[in-house]
Amino acid sequence: MTSTLRAASRRHLLRHPAQLALALIGLSLGVGSIVAVDIATGSARRAFELSLEAVNGAATHQLSGGPGGIDERLYPRLRREPVGAGSAGPRFAPLVSGYATLGDRTLELIGIDPIASAEVSAGTAAPGVGVAGGADARDWFMRPGAVVLTASAAGQLGIVTGRSFELEIGGVRHPAFLAGTIGAGAPGLDGIALTDIAQAQEWLSATGRLSRIDVRMPPGAAGAAQLARLRALLPADVEIHATRSEARETFAMTDAFITNLKAMSLLALLVGTFLIYGAVSFAVLQRRTVIGVLRALGATRGEVLRLVLGEALLLGVVGAACGCLLGVAIGRVLLGLVSQTINDLYFVVAVNGLAVPPLTLVKAVAVGIGTALAAALIPALEVAGGVPRLGLARSVIEGRARAIARRLVLGGALLGGLAAVIVAVSGHSLLAGFAALFLLLLAVAAVTPAALRALALAGARLFAGRNAVARLALHDVAGSLSRTGVAVAALGMALTAMIGVAVMVESFRESLREWLTQSMHADIYVSAPGPSGDLSRRLDPEVMRSLLATPGVRAHSEARRAVVGSPRGPIELNALRLVPGSDAAFRLTQGDASGAWAAFRGGAILISEPLSWRLDLHPGQDLALSTAAGPRAFPIAGVYREYGNDRGEILMDLDGYRANWHDTELGGLGIYLDPGVKAAAMVQALRAAAGGRQALFIRSNADIRALSMRIFERTFIITRVLYWLAAGVAAIGLVSALLAWELERSRQLALLRTLGMTPAGTATLVIAQTLFMGLVAFLAAIPAGLLTALVLTRVINRRAFGWQIDLHLSAPQFTNALLLALAAAFVAGVYPAWRGARAPLARGLREE
Amino acid sequence: MTVRATHVGPFLVLLLIATSARAAPPADLGGPLGQAAGPGFAQALAPRAFAFPRDHAAHDTFRQEWWYFTGHLLGPGGERFGFELTFFRFALAPPDAADDAPRSGRSAWRARQIYMAHFAVTDVAGHRFEFAQKLSRGALGLAGAHDSPLAVWIDDWTLAEGPGARWRLRASEPGYELRLDLAPAGAPVPNGNAGLSVKSAAPGSASYYYSLPRIVVQGTLTRAGQPLAVTGLAWFDHEWGSGALSTRQCGWDWFALQLDDGSALMFYALRDRAGHRDPHSAGTFIDRQGAARPLGDDEVALEPTGSWVSGDGVRYPSGWRIRVPVLALDLSGQPVLADQELRTSPRYWEGAIDFKGTRAGAPAAGRGYVELVGYAEERRQTGGTGAHGCVAR
Repeated sequence: MTSTLRAASRRHLLRHPAQLALALIGLSLGVGSIVAVDIATGSARRAFELSLEAVNGAATHQLSGGPGGIDERLYPRLRREPVGAGSAGPRFAPLVSGYATLGDRTLELIGIDPIASAEVSAGTAAPGVGVAGGADARDWFMRPGAVVLTASAAGQLGIVTGRSFELEIGGVRHPAFLAGTIGAGAPGLDGIALTDIAQAQEWLSATGRLSRIDVRMPPGAAGAAQLARLRALLPADVEIHATRSEARETFAMTDAFITNLKAMSLLALLVGTFLIYGAVSFAVLQRRTVIGVLRALGATRGEVLRLVLGEALLLGVVGAACGCLLGVAIGRVLLGLVSQTINDLYFVVAVNGLAVPPLTLVKAVAVGIGTALAAALIPALEVAGGVPRLGLARSVIEGRARAIARRLVLGGALLGGLAAVIVAVSGHSLLAGFAALFLLLLAVAAVTPAALRALALAGARLFAGRNAVARLALHDVAGSLSRTGVAVAALGMALTAMIGVAVMVESFRESLREWLTQSMHADIYVSAPGPSGDLSRRLDPEVMRSLLATPGVRAHSEARRAVVGSPRGPIELNALRLVPGSDAAFRLTQGDASGAWAAFRGGAILISEPLSWRLDLHPGQDLALSTAAGPRAFPIAGVYREYGNDRGEILMDLDGYRANWHDTELGGLGIYLDPGVKAAAMVQALRAAAGGRQALFIRSNADIRALSMRIFERTFIITRVLYWLAAGVAAIGLVSALLAWELERSRQLALLRTLGMTPAGTATLVIAQTLFMGLVAFLAAIPAGLLTALVLTRVINRRAFGWQIDLHLSAPQFTNALLLALAAAFVAGVYPAWRGARAPLARGLREE
Repeated sequence: MTVRATHVGPFLVLLLIATSARAAPPADLGGPLGQAAGPGFAQALAPRAFAFPRDHAAHDTFRQEWWYFTGHLLGPGGERFGFELTFFRFALAPPDAADDAPRSGRSAWRARQIYMAHFAVTDVAGHRFEFAQKLSRGALGLAGAHDSPLAVWIDDWTLAEGPGARWRLRASEPGYELRLDLAPAGAPVPNGNAGLSVKSAAPGSASYYYSLPRIVVQGTLTRAGQPLAVTGLAWFDHEWGSGALSTRQCGWDWFALQLDDGSALMFYALRDRAGHRDPHSAGTFIDRQGAARPLGDDEVALEPTGSWVSGDGVRYPSGWRIRVPVLALDLSGQPVLADQELRTSPRYWEGAIDFKGTRAGAPAAGRGYVELVGYAEERRQTGGTGAHGCVAR
């Protein structure tokens, strides 16, 4: 019996290759998108981990200081201290880091002592850079400009050992040469230029300072005791922390971003699930006659169930396998976007390898197969549970579908309510935010079939007595809810996501634009190149004097950015000396405006919204910061809106910063022009005044606004790619489901033809039906999309970044979704319409 | 901070090979370290009138230099120990006063000197031999040397001048910490031709070399946290130069013997690639009054009487008969512990020995230190057969 069943099953699938292919495509896309996102984010994360480990990877702890780093005299002192007390003690390796540009590539410039680095990694399997790239010792120590790169980075840059080149550091060009290369096995070093610590200090104008000291403590109790002794030796402004916690801290920055990506891939999978449900259930339902006959011939309920589930399993396996391959391919493309975004927003990370975590594949395959099985289960039970021989009468199935649709409305309402409850009680949890979002989407899907039926019946009543074909078409849609409901629900969910994401992105964009306009008071901004918070980013005092002496400069503000330690982790600090009257550049969202600014000048700090959200800090509270004289509590006077930094920042008066951190450098200037002076001309004049001494970013505020918006757009490229991917999955789902449905209706269409309907009329009927369903999906998606946008902006974004975003609506957010819905519906209708119009009547009537 | 027998990578290995022993680095290593003498370095070409205390300190115009302490210690309960504490200096470039001058924007990490130190304790009763190594650039006070008061150091391993021209040694490694007070007895003894120690026929392949063969020491050896008051006798060698061994030479066996009658014998046997003794092998005999007599290659007969094989197959001679017919000296020596190998990069054996025999027919005995260099490399180069003789690299 089983072999007969299998043969019947095989014959059926082979006779319907298009249906099979569509089901596979949908399943593959769903699985592929989750694999792709996992691979892209995983690879970026791995690259970051490697670059952390690449230099002194065996280090267990790090010593870090205030914004100016650590006084280098601490290092020899620590080496002389008998911290080990008779047993093997800690090993120390000093490090000076900054950024350098080589050609068009930004590299992290790391100055090491190769001897100390070798000691830290000695006897461990951890990658280390103690070897200093096999560079000749005399070159490394004695020849100015000695740099070591990885062999692959050197190859990409076209530099061979011994070749001279120029490194641009802090806007100043320095002669350098490649003293050696590091070979394979140092993947994390691709974005790093290694040099001697002395050279790094001189290049970065950081003589006397160390960026950090890596420490390898012995394991176990001995290490713990030594750690306590070591801690007691450290000056007030130096902190020790485990390297792993440092890594976690940085990941926290990207976690929000990665969760965002994951959510998109889950969305794709969710839509894919509907598609699979549709495809698999049709495959089963279409064969109810055959199955009925088989049941009559003695096939048991269990056998039929096993057959159908077996098919779904096979489909799931093949689809998941294809999805994995597809995912790797898409992941490769996505990886470029992910690392670009990370580099734009967070830190320089060189991603050069595609990491395919086995767990990701296992997860994706499990989800894919599980979804296929789950999707097949309900129709399989329905078929298997039917009366032998006859199968279920259409009317019985549709009766059940109507009952289910009614129950689903109730379920949808419950899901929606649950989503609301989750948002209300889950506090800051981003994951809960996403859970609420998915419940919301499911609620939409649940309600859609009932809405479709209601709208179709309402439409049919509207056309009653006026247009028989339209009435017939709509009745048919309402009457075939078991098919149409699923397809429209899937499309509706995808459209909902589309609208939600589009509204969110645009709201974000507009809020950013408003913020940029409001916050940039100066006409021209000057800054030293380099990542935010990096101290090598300093303006040369001579150059600065020349700039400010340029005719046309009316006033200027001064800024210095640094990263300071706090018990809550490192925080970016923006120290400003504002031009009087430019307070309005900061829109306070918490705290009393007049009082806050007075307090600010008196030594209080202002914090940005993301920081307030992330650390739950509010005006009236204190924040302890590690100053040069040890921890000091600063009162918080207010919270301001800021979109530049999703981790948040502190605003402090420049004089207060200097007094507390003894750092007198400046990183940026805001230049106010005399009335009538044109910004563009003035930018040229200022560049001339810098006179090639230091390459500075000198930009008008309009340029900066444009640049910021460009970075914003690039950041959302990934969102956009996934948005279309999800939409694509949904569209294919609709096409596949409707195609199957319309083909199934050949007999009905043939009957209509025999009753006198013209081929054109038949085609119109079919197209009208699918367009109607597309329209219904779109209509359902409008309120649901708005709700989704609200959740995305008010819940997800707030929880991920701490940003408050004002909702902005525009027509294209909706018209895109409408166009997609109608296009998918049209495509789904064309072939059945063509076939229904042309099919020989006799054949159509013979079927079923 | 102590690094024990660790893999430090080719760059450092090169450095260590260059500076790890008493003679100059082999000339055939390639790169800057293998050159007969770097440009700009001073050369040891003629005998030199040593001036102390200045010559105890560093000679930065020469390429390499070492301060070598070995000695034998006795604890209050008769516990016996041997120790080695050596500071090496290796110059990357000759001094350049203009470039070295402190100036704005010059990093204090800029260094022309690399310092290395080895510390080893032979715990005879405990049957333990522990060694450690330190390596550092000569900058920022991490490592260095200065003359008045005399000091040579890496981190907390130091040779320092104390009150009354006494010296102090201090070093520690897991399990052992040594603090010694040194009272050098007698004037420094120049080796070779009035201090010029010629290592091969090539010009400049020589060094300045003097010894303090009998230094009375006392201090504290802390073993596993337990301080022991110790007394004993140490040997100090100080050698500097800019040359290298000839391409034919590939190792040496060095002996420093302190006889119970107050005399002392230093002898080094250079080996060529075929495993034969090089005619530039030489030594010094110092009588109990401190008078020195140079010994030529043909005046000393040296034969191994046994061997010891390290865990991974490096074969060292272990046990020797030393005869100096002109002094009527016939001595046989045995290591106090077979395994006194420093598995650093490169590896060498340096350990305490006991010897006895006759001098002018009368019984003679004493203690000494032996250094065996080049055996691990020979084995590597000859494919592990242990046969003597280096193969061209």
